[in-house]
Amino acid sequence: MEVVVLKEGKPGFLGLGGEEATVRVLRRQSEEERQAAVILAKEVLERLLSLMKVSASIEEKEPPEEGRALIFLEITGDDLGILIGRRGQTLSSLQYLLYLMVGHQLKAHVPVTIDVAGYRERRQEALKNLAWRIAESVMATGQPVPLEPMPASERRIIHLALQDYPGVITQSIGEGEDRKVTILKQG
Amino acid sequence: MKELIEFIVKAIVNNPDEVVVTEEQSEGGVLLKLQVNQEDMGRVIGKQGRVVQAMRTLLRVIAAKAGTRVELVVM
Repeated sequence: MEVVVLKEGKPGFLGLGGEEATVRVLRRQSEEERQAAVILAKEVLERLLSLMKVSASIEEKEPPEEGRALIFLEITGDDLGILIGRRGQTLSSLQYLLYLMVGHQLKAHVPVTIDVAGYRERRQEALKNLAWRIAESVMATGQPVPLEPMPASERRIIHLALQDYPGVITQSIGEGEDRKVTILKQG
Repeated sequence: MKELIEFIVKAIVNNPDEVVVTEEQSEGGVLLKLQVNQEDMGRVIGKQGRVVQAMRTLLRVIAAKAGTRVELVVM
């Protein structure tokens, strides 16, 4: 068990004015539970790919440190560009549905990240470089620069890449598919 | 295409026995009609249609390979 204190309580005085503390109790997943989730996630993903008539193999890997995933599955094979899709949209859809399916079956929140032949890693490097390049030009010109719309996981990479960059801030603006990060000069 | 949608939807609803997917050939391509228990409507559509949209994205992969178009509607 892991206990997270959301709000500290107060003892009060003579039984008056006391406040209850609010805590969240998380059940930490054991390694056996994680392994069971990995097996299920792999099976479900294999079936999804075969129903999509994509031949590929799936391998479990160590989740990247920067992400929040508990399970990381890598898809390899020939002709997988179709699985990534425009701006990684197909890959995101596949990952989201897999997450819902596994979560529903296990009645638990199991974050699963899937990648196709190192796409996410390459994309992450490209996004970091983009963020730093744009931040430099924002500092030079003082003009805010909106980036193209991105899914939440990619916006997060931009925010994290610039959180310690002096003089610029990042903001996400827009709804749903159109949500994008804008980089602007602080103050 | 029908099998893909059945597989996904049955795994995310509370009433998998009531999932019905029908596949029709229409002039523009393939039309898939999805029916679920009323209680499960929110689960298959998702917030701002995110779930049904993700299913449509996957369908496009199959449709592109088959050189056709596909439409998915929730009844």
